[in-house]
Amino acid sequence: MPRILGVDIPNDKRTIISLRYIYGIGPFLAKQLCERAAVDPDKRARDLTEDELAKLAALLDNEYVVEGQLRRQLQQSIARLRDIGCYRGLRHRKGLPVRGQRTRTNARTRKGPRKTVAGKKGVKEMR
Amino acid sequence: MGRSLKKGPYVVERLLAKVEKVEMTGNRDPIKTWSRSCTIVPEFIGKNFAIHNGRNFVKLYVTEDMVGHKLGEFAPTRTFRSHGGKAGKGGGKK
Repeated sequence: MPRILGVDIPNDKRTIISLRYIYGIGPFLAKQLCERAAVDPDKRARDLTEDELAKLAALLDNEYVVEGQLRRQLQQSIARLRDIGCYRGLRHRKGLPVRGQRTRTNARTRKGPRKTVAGKKGVKEMR
Repeated sequence: MGRSLKKGPYVVERLLAKVEKVEMTGNRDPIKTWSRSCTIVPEFIGKNFAIHNGRNFVKLYVTEDMVGHKLGEFAPTRTFRSHGGKAGKGGGKK
């Protein structure tokens, strides 16, 4: 299986699809990459030549922010919000939704599994 | 949604004037303001503000990182008085 940027091993799918297994590459960038590296997007990833792989890797390395670097960037922006104590930072600290969503119900992605409060009205109905 | 660049950041003129005055006099007192929607611009760095949150004035020392945010983002308007404990009242229906 081909390797790009050391860790990522996109599988036997079409190049345009398998590129998306790299963190930070979505449909748009996958297409752009194929065009810029002059790689046939429909070619299976396993059929990519050394040359093509090198080209893709070079592009990714020099001009795109992906994988670890992107993750770090994201962490830093969140850390910045936390540090300056602005509203968004406070929401991050508390693990609540940041962008003004309701929290009376839902918001489970941010809040995690339900913590049922004993004695609260309506607990029975919810179960 | 972002604000149109054409307009530039929303900065309350009066506040900017006040900041300049503080700059001139070297006064260390916080600038009292109700303009929560005013964007923090580089001129504000190193100044003390007291931002109204609906009840009190929250003190804020502006640092470089805060540029681009609104003043109101640093003065929370809601107080969360923890859930639970004994005698947790009825509360939330459904």
